[in-house]
Amino acid sequence: MSLSAAQPNGTSPSDWQDRYWHVDQVLEKPGPRTDPSFLAGREVQEFLRDKCKILVIGAGGLGCEILANLALTGFKDIHVIDMDTIDVSNLNRQFLFRPADVGKPKAIVAAEFIMNRVPGVIVTPYYGKIQDKDHEYYMQFNLVICGLDSVEARRWINATLVSMVDSDNPESLKPLIDGGTEGFKGQARVILPTITSCYECSLDMLNKPTTFPICTIANTPRLPEHCIEWASVLEWPKVHGDQKLDTDDPEHISWLYGVAFKRAKEFNIEGVTWSLTQGVVKNVIPAIASTNAVIAAACCNEAFKIATSSAAYLNNYFMLIGTDGVYSYTFEHEKREHCPVCGGEALEISINHDWTVEQLMEMLTEKQDIQIKKPSLSTPLKPIYFQQPPQLEKNTRPNLEKKVSDLVAAGGEVTVTSTTLPFSLSLIINYT
Amino acid sequence: MVDTESQDIETATTTLQSAPDAKTRRYDRQLRLWAATGQAALELSRILVLSSDATSTSILKNLVLPGIGHFTILDDARVSPADAGNNFFLEGPRSIGKSRAEEAVRLLLEMNDGVQGVADTRSFDSIMDTDKDWFSSFTLIISHNLHPTRLDKLSNLLSSNSSAPPLIIVRSSAFLAEFFIQFHEHTIIESHSETAPSLRIDKPFPALLQHALSLDYEKMDSTEHGHTPYVYILVKAMEGWKKSHGGNPPKTTDERKEFKKGILALQRNIDEENFEEAEAQAYRCWAETKVPSEIAQLFNDPALEPAAHAQSRQPFFHLLAALKRFTEEVEPHTLPLTSTLPDMKADTTSYIHLQRLYKARAEEEKAIFQTFLDKNVDIDEDVIDLFLKNAHGLQVLRGRRWGEFERDTDAFSGALASYPKETCIHLALSALANLTVKQPGVAPTAEALRGEVLAIVGQGTELPDALDEAIGELERAPAAELPNTAALLGGLVAQEAIKMITKQYVPIKGYAVIDLIDTTTATLG
Repeated sequence: MSLSAAQPNGTSPSDWQDRYWHVDQVLEKPGPRTDPSFLAGREVQEFLRDKCKILVIGAGGLGCEILANLALTGFKDIHVIDMDTIDVSNLNRQFLFRPADVGKPKAIVAAEFIMNRVPGVIVTPYYGKIQDKDHEYYMQFNLVICGLDSVEARRWINATLVSMVDSDNPESLKPLIDGGTEGFKGQARVILPTITSCYECSLDMLNKPTTFPICTIANTPRLPEHCIEWASVLEWPKVHGDQKLDTDDPEHISWLYGVAFKRAKEFNIEGVTWSLTQGVVKNVIPAIASTNAVIAAACCNEAFKIATSSAAYLNNYFMLIGTDGVYSYTFEHEKREHCPVCGGEALEISINHDWTVEQLMEMLTEKQDIQIKKPSLSTPLKPIYFQQPPQLEKNTRPNLEKKVSDLVAAGGEVTVTSTTLPFSLSLIINYT
Repeated sequence: MVDTESQDIETATTTLQSAPDAKTRRYDRQLRLWAATGQAALELSRILVLSSDATSTSILKNLVLPGIGHFTILDDARVSPADAGNNFFLEGPRSIGKSRAEEAVRLLLEMNDGVQGVADTRSFDSIMDTDKDWFSSFTLIISHNLHPTRLDKLSNLLSSNSSAPPLIIVRSSAFLAEFFIQFHEHTIIESHSETAPSLRIDKPFPALLQHALSLDYEKMDSTEHGHTPYVYILVKAMEGWKKSHGGNPPKTTDERKEFKKGILALQRNIDEENFEEAEAQAYRCWAETKVPSEIAQLFNDPALEPAAHAQSRQPFFHLLAALKRFTEEVEPHTLPLTSTLPDMKADTTSYIHLQRLYKARAEEEKAIFQTFLDKNVDIDEDVIDLFLKNAHGLQVLRGRRWGEFERDTDAFSGALASYPKETCIHLALSALANLTVKQPGVAPTAEALRGEVLAIVGQGTELPDALDEAIGELERAPAAELPNTAALLGGLVAQEAIKMITKQYVPIKGYAVIDLIDTTTATLG
């Protein structure tokens, strides 16, 4: 402790002398790569410990790690949102949870654990969906960190934070730090809404999800996966009627496994196991503590550097592949010119003159840089097709078979919306 | 199929697995990466960690969670107020003054009751003096910011005995860090290589060739025609091509274009995806199947030389010796065929038939392979299967000693040119460590650090500007152990430890250098 001195700066009654001895070394002095705007010492310590309010989205594999790191680095006002409850398969990595916690809400258990372990830190949990909260709620935070496994939720928070930016109010720009992992691979990135590339800008970097054509599943199964899909997509509704398949229910998985196993045997296909059945129907992504630790630490390190200016922060994408040695790639992901979220301009597309509305919708669902589920379409004057309410759906349904060119003039605009996304996409349609 | 249904249900229910047990459910998400074999290796492992500072407990957290068998923390320190502030596995002010190892072990064990943990509060030096062999009783040893004199002793001890465990050396200061694995030899069967084994379309085995040639497109109905697997289409087309081209495959770009065109010409209508697949996979006809150069190189390994005592060989090298003979003596001088077939457009019957052709041939080649195995060694059938299935991705790593890198002038100047920033970080961390020996308790100045760096690389060596940045960062916060750096190292180091223990995936070859200002990593040496 020879280098330390008592630190009254930014301390509160729960702090003990030298509590922040390690962190304070980088807060009291700039380094060679520190921005000149860094306010070393008291001011930055007070901001971090007394004023900064940070939101963590997700209290799962990344979230548990993020909460612990933030608490130790000195963030004291932390909020966390998660809609999930704890499952036994979380315990190999979500280290704030114990077997006795299975079934309880993640956000609440995680918040309690952190407050118990790291004195003086307040973690405010919300057990629910991010979509339950409005602009006013998100406006209260200085920073947002996401540790999510859902593309849809990421797109939603990204679009929300971009739409909140008001050029007259610098406080309205909330840096978004996003992390994600899959097995030994992961990525962390910093998004400054409207300034850097946003989540929507990089949609085409996502892996295309594996899908099996229905005719293969029904008629020419070759792989164990085809038999499992047959059991879940075709046999389950046939046998169970309206009862919904619950992929978290082991009884349901066992039933699917039995059915898939029998079909595989009939067709001499090998390899249907309980584990594969669960993996296919739940779309299970392998997850380990170590990768989550790396990515969460990278995210929290960026949050710490942004909140304190103690060092330059990531510009703007860090990608890690840990299967063969430690390979990482840090680069600046560029803004997408016609990004529907932060680009502000309409996207021009060319389609065949004979395409029906239904074909256009199919393209919008499949196109890597759009990926809109259940789109609703309209021109500035009238609806083309609406998914809901039911009456409007019924009224617009006949349009599905019509040619787009009969409804929209060349160069005309079509607005695409979806209930799962908080933004609308403007398309300028041209015909070939 | 209908008339055998009752019997099918019976067999199905007798061989159906039951739902997984509690342990399998708990570890499900990692078993999908390293399977039961990897898990068993983890559960047999005994890890020694030579500190219980924030970095050490972060590493251990990521080893306790996936379920290692045992860990020991060797640490005689008491919890300081600063420790209590940056270590998640201490209970804040409640832990201050207590044994740091005991507190950490207690809190780490809370995460997984399948793991055994021991806090050893003896001093490192007393064990080194009186009980050296104790270190070799572990599977793996991990040190963080270990005093350089002790590190040298330990690294010497472990490198002098070829059966001593690997040592992972971790050093960090504020935003900068590095780690290195010192080990003797590491063999990997399951490297989880992303390249798939060859289907040998260019060198079809007799049954495959025969079946492909027996197909008569003219006589096929439209369903059969549109569901003929691309493997047959290519083998058949290739045979035809060779006949009219003096036994040669398409060589020039034009010939290859023509070959592809010929395949597409077989399509009855544009909906026949199998012919499109065949066109897209046509490169398999001229990408010659040979023993991959990385594997051929392994055949020169000193462990295979007759002088290397066959009795003391690991099973891996017995298998490798047999593989070498197989590729030398068995036509067509390739690795043994595997039965792993990718999915392709086909109907069930033809796909399963193709799969069975591959399987039968793979079994035949396996039987030949087994005749090449030393009769005096007993190797599990499962291991043989695993070895053959992964033969295209085998690896043998030979480690280096800690500190050897700096002594290898060529490698070192190469690193300085290719990775100036990372090499400077490595040098600056070495300089910092040296200063703790030379000037204990004195805050290092930039000048002193630079002097130490020059002492390592030799006066007069030209050093890049990146050195000033690295030195400046260390002068700013020499002893700072930032929670985020600790957590990040915790993840990376644990991951490498898991690869070493399970012998799956490929561990880092060299020094991993981490800069958490630019958020970059690189591998040196």
